[in-house]
Amino acid sequence: MPTAASSTEVRRAVRDVAHLVAFRAGTVRRPRAFAIAAAVFVGLTAAAAGVPTFVDGAGSYRGYALDTITILPSAMAGFLLLAIASAVASGGGRELLDREHAVVHPVSPTTDHLGALLLAPLNIAWLLQAWILLGATSYGVQRPFLPFALLGVLLWIGLATVIGQVVAWTVEAIRRRDHGIAVVRSLAVVLFGVAVLLQLSGRLGTLLDKFPTTHLAAGLVNGFSGRWAVCICIEVALVLVAVALGAVPAHLAAHRTARDELRVESGSYPARGLPRSPLAALVRTDRGSVWRAVPMRRGLAVLAIGPGVVALAGNLDWAQMTILPGLVASGGALLFGVNAWCLDARGGLWRESLPVGPGTVFAARAWVLTEFLLVASFTTMVLAGLRAGLPDASELTALLCTWVVVVLQVVSSALRWSSRRPFAVDLRSARATPAPPLVMVGYSTKLAVTTTLTSLVFSGLARVPHPELSVLVASPFLVWSMIRLLHARDAWTDPVQRAKVVTTVAA
Amino acid sequence: MSGGPPFGQSWPAGAGQVGDSPARGRERGEDSGVISRAPVVDVRSLHVRFGEVEAVAGVHLEAYAGHATALLGRNGAGKSTTMRVLAGVVPPTAGSATVAGFDVRTHPLEVKRAVGYCPDVGGLVPRATPWEHLQLSARLRRLQNWEERARDLLERFELGDVAHRVTTGFSHGMGRRLSVCLAALHEPEVLLLDEPFDGVDPIGVDATFDVISDARSRGACVLVSTHLRELAVEACSSVLVLRGGAQVATATSGEMAGEEGARAYRSLLD
Repeated sequence: MPTAASSTEVRRAVRDVAHLVAFRAGTVRRPRAFAIAAAVFVGLTAAAAGVPTFVDGAGSYRGYALDTITILPSAMAGFLLLAIASAVASGGGRELLDREHAVVHPVSPTTDHLGALLLAPLNIAWLLQAWILLGATSYGVQRPFLPFALLGVLLWIGLATVIGQVVAWTVEAIRRRDHGIAVVRSLAVVLFGVAVLLQLSGRLGTLLDKFPTTHLAAGLVNGFSGRWAVCICIEVALVLVAVALGAVPAHLAAHRTARDELRVESGSYPARGLPRSPLAALVRTDRGSVWRAVPMRRGLAVLAIGPGVVALAGNLDWAQMTILPGLVASGGALLFGVNAWCLDARGGLWRESLPVGPGTVFAARAWVLTEFLLVASFTTMVLAGLRAGLPDASELTALLCTWVVVVLQVVSSALRWSSRRPFAVDLRSARATPAPPLVMVGYSTKLAVTTTLTSLVFSGLARVPHPELSVLVASPFLVWSMIRLLHARDAWTDPVQRAKVVTTVAA
Repeated sequence: MSGGPPFGQSWPAGAGQVGDSPARGRERGEDSGVISRAPVVDVRSLHVRFGEVEAVAGVHLEAYAGHATALLGRNGAGKSTTMRVLAGVVPPTAGSATVAGFDVRTHPLEVKRAVGYCPDVGGLVPRATPWEHLQLSARLRRLQNWEERARDLLERFELGDVAHRVTTGFSHGMGRRLSVCLAALHEPEVLLLDEPFDGVDPIGVDATFDVISDARSRGACVLVSTHLRELAVEACSSVLVLRGGAQVATATSGEMAGEEGARAYRSLLD
């Protein structure tokens, strides 16, 4: 079994990636929107890299600028962790061509690996962190040194992404061995335990200081020098090595069966009693579609636990914690909610032929999405609150209001988009997404902006000693989201619109 | 369905005017059941458009209780879209369609109660088991004491062993067989089977024939959409041929059987 990436294989893979990109570009439904999105992406990246340097105090090595430079190595390490977590959670990264469509083409694991690397930036978490890293560099480094520092940081962003991919393929290759799932879960628990111990013993900061990014950042921020050149050469070499190295576990993973998918598909689910009502029957079917799907289970675990653990380590106070429910609810909706009708896939036509009102079908789907998001965000809040002590009435009310408001915001947006832009997708593999990558970036940006701004409002209210104020402010948010949810329901209950959705997702 | 002269295009010379032996006619049950005067399925000048594409362009169809009618035609002829309209899944753009006395446009729920539908693609919720599919259908149709029939159907279609496995891992043929079971569970007044034989093994084909035969004998109206002429004439008593979204001929299955029927069918498709 060939596992090494020979030069011929790599050349062929690069050519195939170009073909697949051209194919995907040709299937973009709205080329104009795509061009605008690309321009916005380039513009924001340029702004993140170029604007902060013109802010007062930038590059002065005093005050905030000094703080920024000081935390740059930790931010770089954080980006690496994010890249790893993101790639591992998505089972090796996104697919340039869906697995179902790719099976008839000779798409090699090397091509798949390179395609996943190419798609890695199409992720709002990745984009935000990358822009923050570029912005911090731009603000902290003296202007004459900035081009050199930015080049180094850009290379680091690339290197971290590639390392994340290598780790993800390796984890996937291990998961697909005998007892692999147990091994990976045990490793995750051990890593989590070590992180908690380090944090509780106050040695996490010391460890971060010893992370290689400290030396790397020191070599990058002082302009052109021999040390800078060495750092750049090391980064370039590591990127090339890591790209080539990633093909090995990618091949290993591709030649093994995905055990978690197999377990779901071959497992037996004993019969339960007949549900009491049509709504209960629909909810049960929809729950099965969600909780038996590998991407949803894995995504939920990462989403619910990841931010909670970070918040736990960062010892967030209750007011800061209001940012978490929105973050988790947005991520949860991106697992399936933004294309909620795709859960039925090819069963959509049969389900639509069943004698039940479309309003009941909508209510069931909305409820299942809501409970999914509530469970995820509640888990995160519980984890984050473990070290925060007891909240006062204002903090607790603000957090609960944020929770309800952002979940309803996300549900109404997701169901509106589900009817407006349905896609036929198979959410069978951990790598599957409910919409094409570019659309996902758009959705995640909109959700992130909305929920973050809302959370900031309630974060402020948490510091006001009048808990009733949070309830008062939450009311218009809830009413507005409910109106939007009813509009989404109206769109679904329209027979022509519903037929379009059903025939699209069942295609 | 009307056994009169074809709608739309007339028969090409030498095509489709084929007699059949009484024995084969009896095999197909042409003389079984009683034709009621009012059609159970009544489609008039049906049009369905998806944007610029006209998937169905003026189909007329009458189908009667106790009879099985085949919709034949090439891929893209409009068979499946017509079936979707009759199942209440896709609303018609123009024309009318009445199923069991209910207009599909104004009474879609009543139509869905009367119909058992096996869609052309998949037709199964990926992460639900066959038994959960049956439960959902039974619950939404308020069926009583349905379990015995459900088990019997699963056994007849050799799906009893996989009744509690999710359908994602099913082969295409298994999925087709389960779709027929789901359509037949509630003994519907109108049975709509869209490509029920596609990729199905001989045992599954026989079981599907039995379902059609059972439905006809209890007086149900059966519509079978397929591109497989031999199986269509075997299972049905009359045939409607569609091309380019419109019907081009109607005939008895006897006229479409055998070598001459095959020639007639080909000439209708070209």
